[in-house]
Amino acid sequence: MSGPRSPALLAGKILAFLRRDFLEALTYRLTFVSSFVGIFFSSATFFFVSKLITPGAPSLEAFGGDFFAFAVVGIAFSSLLGIFQEGLPSVIRGAQVAGTLEALLVTRTSIPTVLLGSSLYSLLFQVFRTALHIGLAMAVFGLQLGRINIPGFLGVFALTALCFLSIGILSASFILVYKSGNPFGWIFGSVSGLLGGVVFPVSLLPDWIRWVSNLLPVTHALNGMRKSLLASAPFADVLPSIAALAVFNAVFLPLSLVAFRLAIRKAKRDGTLTHY
Amino acid sequence: MTGSPAVLAEGLVKRYPVLGGFREALRHPLQRPKTTALEGLSLRVSRGRAFCLLGPNGAGKTTLIKILTTLVLPDEGKAFVNGHDVVRHPGAVKDAIGYAINDERSFYWRLTGRQNLEFFGALVGLWGASRDRKIEEVLGLTGLEAAAGRRFNAYSTGMRQMLAFARALLTDAELLFVDEPTRSLDPLAADKVRTFLRRELVDRRGKTVFWATHDLTEAASVAHEIAVIDRGRIRLQGTPEALTDNTRVPLRDVYEKALAAGGGPAREDGALIPGEAVET
Repeated sequence: MSGPRSPALLAGKILAFLRRDFLEALTYRLTFVSSFVGIFFSSATFFFVSKLITPGAPSLEAFGGDFFAFAVVGIAFSSLLGIFQEGLPSVIRGAQVAGTLEALLVTRTSIPTVLLGSSLYSLLFQVFRTALHIGLAMAVFGLQLGRINIPGFLGVFALTALCFLSIGILSASFILVYKSGNPFGWIFGSVSGLLGGVVFPVSLLPDWIRWVSNLLPVTHALNGMRKSLLASAPFADVLPSIAALAVFNAVFLPLSLVAFRLAIRKAKRDGTLTHY
Repeated sequence: MTGSPAVLAEGLVKRYPVLGGFREALRHPLQRPKTTALEGLSLRVSRGRAFCLLGPNGAGKTTLIKILTTLVLPDEGKAFVNGHDVVRHPGAVKDAIGYAINDERSFYWRLTGRQNLEFFGALVGLWGASRDRKIEEVLGLTGLEAAAGRRFNAYSTGMRQMLAFARALLTDAELLFVDEPTRSLDPLAADKVRTFLRRELVDRRGKTVFWATHDLTEAASVAHEIAVIDRGRIRLQGTPEALTDNTRVPLRDVYEKALAAGGGPAREDGALIPGEAVET
């Protein structure tokens, strides 16, 4: 596999991808604006739903007790994790369908660089949206964060990002070979929305299915983030989430790298690297 | 590597898996039927030449180009571009070539021509003032200076093709691959492309152009050398003069005879030798 020969060259390529996507996004101004308007409506909806829920409900106690804060953090960060996870396969799929993948790969640019460069803009944009989501909820709807456990939050966030990137690489490998019908997106996307505690605590789930939540990284990621941001929890309380995420990384990271390597080789052998 | 041919292929074989029906998948879940694209293809292309790979649709032209540009791996055989092995040293091959992809979808339609070149320039390692200079040079060469600030979606088909050449020339590569560059162009635009590739790139700048086409007239008018490919093998290779016996035999007759001969590759002087492999 060919790739950049120096860090400066790699940085130049990554910047070029970032600039390309920014310039393209500027040509879709309405989408740009409407994505921010959506944040307001989502926050407003959960603000009014939260009026139905008595503050200090036992299932919310571990996360500061406020449903609005619970939901905003869950939605804001699950959208961000969705970009980590879905960004890479959608980059591959998009470039295959648009027809640009061949033109990218005929340059001395490795597929990992294409993946990283092409997903960076959406990632940064989503980080900005997540911060804006929480900022807007604080400024307009009175969301209150706890005393933030910065090391705990950063530890959980870094391991979560790595874990979801690994799942994204697994998904990208699948798309490279099979082009569509990514099962990882379904398992870690749709299933996580229901069982991962995004808008309600997993403790509300029936016992017979609650164990599945523990198999989903998003459950541990959101638990750790909420405890760090909302419940003023000490580092020791966040440690179980960090440990669980470390285990997921130990499995997914090497698995995804091997799968990606095999997928590229198979797609080049089958001559379907740029097919869709 | 100086002295090595621009392209050297030896015994290239490429078979693609094909999608069978549902019943077939159930009967043989671990076996997938395959179709042969290249069947022991051997070829040598010298540097500084306009080389035309002439063949009907489905003959294996695009597969050969994709192998030579490192986008597809061969099943068997070896291929070298400017002396670099396409499987073992794909990076060196990519540095040595430009590939004018004949697909308008390979550009970003909402960006301008210049923005597209700036992006692809960065991917081939151009940055800052040197990139800007190179872009001005290739825009001038392809006659697109005035249109550089327009969005790609406002370009005509001919302008899109010229921008594909501009992009391929960003690397300063000695060897340029073009796959049916005049397809879907009007006759005047097609002439402009032919003149540009042959006169400007080959004759004036000494580049090698590896040109896949199924247009006999085009091949006869631009090529220093022609190879006829059919069913994954080179059936005939030589200069247009040798192949046509100094224009005494129409190229069309030679071409049809080569295709009809089926299993018969040829000597470089153009005479058909049934059953004999091409010497490279």
